[in-house]
Amino acid sequence: MDSNIENNNKKPILEAINLSKRYEDNALALDNVSFTIHPGEIFAMLGGNGAGKTTTINLFLNLIEPTSGDCKIDGVSCVSKPLEAKKKVAYVSENVMLYPDFTAMQNLDFFIKLGGRMNLSKDEYKSVLKRVGLQEDAFNKKLKGFSKGMRQKCGIAISILKDAPAILLDEPTSGLDPKAGAEFVNLLKELKKEGKAILMSTHDIFRAKDVADTIGIMNKGQLVMKKKQSEIHNEDLEQLYIKYMAGYMENAA
Amino acid sequence: MLKLIVIKELKNIIQSPKFTATFTTLSVLLLLSFYIGINEYKYSLEQYNTATLLANDRVKDTRSWMGVSYSTYREPKPLQYLVGGINNDIGRYSTIVHSDEVKLRNSAYSDDPLFALFRNIDFSSIAMIVFSLFAILFSYNAINGEKEEGTLKLIFSNSVPRAKYIIGKIVGSWLGLVVPLLIPILLGLLLLLINNIYLNGTEWLSLVSLIFISIVYLTFFIALGTLVSSVTKSSVASFMILLVLWIVTVFIIPRVGVMSAAQMVEVPTISQIESQQDAYSKDRWQIYMDELSDKWEKRRAAMAGMTDEEKEAYEDDMSYAWMEEDDKARKQVEKDIADYNQKLNEDYVKRKIVLEQLALNFSRISPASLFQLAAMNLATSDIELKHRYEESMREYKNRFMDFAEKKQEESGESGMFTIKMSSDGGFKLNDGRQEGGLDVSELPKYVSPKQNYASLLNSIILDSVLLIIYSVICFGIAFAAFLRFDVR
Repeated sequence: MDSNIENNNKKPILEAINLSKRYEDNALALDNVSFTIHPGEIFAMLGGNGAGKTTTINLFLNLIEPTSGDCKIDGVSCVSKPLEAKKKVAYVSENVMLYPDFTAMQNLDFFIKLGGRMNLSKDEYKSVLKRVGLQEDAFNKKLKGFSKGMRQKCGIAISILKDAPAILLDEPTSGLDPKAGAEFVNLLKELKKEGKAILMSTHDIFRAKDVADTIGIMNKGQLVMKKKQSEIHNEDLEQLYIKYMAGYMENAA
Repeated sequence: MLKLIVIKELKNIIQSPKFTATFTTLSVLLLLSFYIGINEYKYSLEQYNTATLLANDRVKDTRSWMGVSYSTYREPKPLQYLVGGINNDIGRYSTIVHSDEVKLRNSAYSDDPLFALFRNIDFSSIAMIVFSLFAILFSYNAINGEKEEGTLKLIFSNSVPRAKYIIGKIVGSWLGLVVPLLIPILLGLLLLLINNIYLNGTEWLSLVSLIFISIVYLTFFIALGTLVSSVTKSSVASFMILLVLWIVTVFIIPRVGVMSAAQMVEVPTISQIESQQDAYSKDRWQIYMDELSDKWEKRRAAMAGMTDEEKEAYEDDMSYAWMEEDDKARKQVEKDIADYNQKLNEDYVKRKIVLEQLALNFSRISPASLFQLAAMNLATSDIELKHRYEESMREYKNRFMDFAEKKQEESGESGMFTIKMSSDGGFKLNDGRQEGGLDVSELPKYVSPKQNYASLLNSIILDSVLLIIYSVICFGIAFAAFLRFDVR
């Protein structure tokens, strides 16, 4: 069965409903954005700097309040019930920064317990660290000696161990070497198979096309394009991106 | 969750290399302060015991109770060597002699000015300067540092209430700094026991209170650091702000407080008062002499036209009345001078009290002053130390002089030379002295002024409560600021 038809029958995990955000300086960061992400679906948000990708993620995490609209995680409003909503989401930032004087295991232990999973064993931590590709001899080393890729793996391990239905990824492949980037894509595919709803903001058009079920292009706070993978399968995404960005610019002019 | 955040914060502090370096330095300094304090106390106690014995020996060697003199010494107290206060600045003894005022002389610093140059490393100065720096070093980036590192955003991507997080963070950092600090402090206490330094019940309670007040002082700076880090965006900015606040709090306000009070309340110097007293005395005697001269002019005028016999008879009649009149006038002059001197002295004392109170109240703006004042009160090395000793020595002087007078009467000493002549013994000179020196076994003992724990506690209540209030206010503002803090 077509996964889109299958998804349409399921309740969405991540929902943005007419989401707008205007900052104190009157800058419109997000303009009436709506989308849904179902279990086992990856939504890749493409767009330049300041397009509104990170603002969208911050709204889901309730780090800022929307000016209007709402966003929901597994049916729970991030605006009215943020603490409950955040139980259902894991987050990996562009540059995962954990406690540098803690070991990988200690960082995992703290953030996993903070995420509400108090009874996981050290073996479970280790097996996930292995799964994300961290070398075993690094498990008990302090984070301050870790490369960006190694820290990113720890961040992903934390999000896997939280076992939340939704995952928010903010530029997750930025700065990773090709091997680490490829490993990350494989991991995303595994998480997708496990039924996670994933919202990923990225500049990486090629990886987005490789892994995403839905691709959205954002510009100046607006979701200017949203297409299913099947709809853009034969199109050159890079050209499409440039076209939408340019079209938007012309309209704006 | 609160426990989790507390433990994380605790581990984060203890596992950092910054902690290892600062904790080692602080421990060495604290133990050094106990070691130096113990040795100084022992030395001072030995000096005190020797000096007291010598003072007794000097009395024993004296052969007359008439004009006998004695010296009373300030007894060293162990806590005064942990909190120096004004202990080394005021004299160590006073002579007890009829002709001289009780006054503490020869301070430790006047005897050894070299030590006055850089002062001693005592527990209170380490607590005041290093504890506060230690707290600032670990709290300046408590909030904005976590934002810069990116951990704050990751933390709040989870279901973590802000209030719980900030409370956990404050409790964790407090435990992370205070608990390790107790180790060198306890080792310091062990050093006291190993060195057989005897502390009475009041001194033990004071020492525990001193440790408590040091912890409250440290807590204030943790609170201040957390506050500044939650209202500034960058950790560099918060560090600079805290450094300035630290300098102002520890070094500027206490001194400016005293200087401002001195500008507002004019207190004359002793030499100014003496010069005023001298001038008044001269003027008053001059008036007296002028009046006396006028009186004699009138008296002589009354005798004008009398014969010499009449004059002689008149002078014989009037001389007693004139003498009484002149004596009355002279006594009035003496009384006026004494009243004037007393008025000046009272005014001086009043102004000095107002100045001291104002200076202390101004300096109380600074938590460092609050800590220092409370610590000095607990260690009895406070600003009243000199007054307390001089007062008790004055009281002792009265007892001593009464005793000496009684002894003098009992021994039948006249205080004068007597020469006895007899046909069989010839001349015998008696200088009023006893053979073989004086018996000092009944000599009144000088007892140092004692303060019980209740009075010590009473003396630190204001400063302790203010310090606690300052800390609570800082925590309150830090808490409120963090609830609005942009964690992105």
